[in-house]
Amino acid sequence: MTPLSFNPLSSGSLLSGAVVATAVSLWLLLPNGRERGVARWLGTMLGLAALAAFIAAGRRLGGLGEEAVFLVVSVVAVISAAATIVSRSPVYAAIWFALSLAGVAGVLLVLGAQFLGVATIVVYAGAILVMFLFVLMLAQPAGLAPYDRVSNEPFLSALAGAVLLGVLSLSIGRLSAAPPSCCSLPSRATLTLPAATGAPTQPAQPAPVADSLEHNHVARLGAELFGRHLIAVEAAGLLLLVALVGAIAVVSRGDAEGTPSQASLHTADRRPSR
Amino acid sequence: MNAAQSLPMLQNALTVGAILFSLGLVGILARRNLIVMFLAAEMMLQGISVSLVAWSRYHGDWGGQVLVIFVLTVAACEAAVALVFVLQAFARTGRLDAAAWQSLREANLVRTVDHELPSIDTLPPRYPTLAPAGVLPPTDENEPLQREHV
Repeated sequence: MTPLSFNPLSSGSLLSGAVVATAVSLWLLLPNGRERGVARWLGTMLGLAALAAFIAAGRRLGGLGEEAVFLVVSVVAVISAAATIVSRSPVYAAIWFALSLAGVAGVLLVLGAQFLGVATIVVYAGAILVMFLFVLMLAQPAGLAPYDRVSNEPFLSALAGAVLLGVLSLSIGRLSAAPPSCCSLPSRATLTLPAATGAPTQPAQPAPVADSLEHNHVARLGAELFGRHLIAVEAAGLLLLVALVGAIAVVSRGDAEGTPSQASLHTADRRPSR
Repeated sequence: MNAAQSLPMLQNALTVGAILFSLGLVGILARRNLIVMFLAAEMMLQGISVSLVAWSRYHGDWGGQVLVIFVLTVAACEAAVALVFVLQAFARTGRLDAAAWQSLREANLVRTVDHELPSIDTLPPRYPTLAPAGVLPPTDENEPLQREHV
């Protein structure tokens, strides 16, 4: 890639073309009140072209495609994430999001975070997403609601997202292998597991980090979590308790103020019979 | 050196995280259904998680993965509380529409007006059918029921 001659396939023009294609395709795909078959088809084609351009630009920028598995799961994650935000029906959006979560879990597995991949499936797809679907079944009107068929400023939103994506991709492409000397921290994974006392870190050993995250993965992650980050674990537990109590409190107080709650209906039903 | 720790792998994973984050941003900005907006917020969290795990892998450090565990925790709390609020909002307005609460907007913002939407040309849904069992199909009388020779 010579900087002097304009190369239409240089990574910069590929990236900018991908950004423009992303914006236009998302704008075409977002709900806009009309069910235009041609526009959706065109948007899908443009989105796939943008994805291909991103893959090509990424291959130039960083060499994407080294790991075919990573490519497959990341494409699944990205396509279903795009389908999540352009689906008219929120139920379909939730199901697309589940597929996106599966892709993200695959990406985490490829990156060597086995526990987090499984936890993503269990916690997100198993618990949070099912909770979303329950609320949808409770609150979704029959058919497509009008507010599901239109978007807030679809062009500006798509443009904002695409520009953010372009800026992030540029900064990612400019990452270099050698970090500046200010920021090179000693690798903590190479240290022996410290107790909660926060043992003074030895000065940077020559990092034998080749596979340091692979062996006894969950055990070492748990030791790190409950050793170094014990206070944070306690805080997270407290946060869970507070969220639980807060959710119940909001529900019960909302019932007392607004519509008659289930309990008061029951008492009203039972009162004449006594 | 492991392939997952190389710089291209880090860049690829960061790109995936950036794409997920941007798509979530578009979803938050554009969609009007409260539930879909929260799905988009969760998608942004997923992008952040992928980036954190990529950095953790690159540096051989557990900090990123530990942080993702806390992200999961906070996301669970956020989903619980947010869904309670969404249900309360639905109980008051009967809609899952963010624009149903536009009386809370700033004074200098224009009002969101819903225009009349063209009706969806509703085709009746086509479900898969099974052939009725135990019914003799119509046969041609001239067609022989059995072949003469096997």
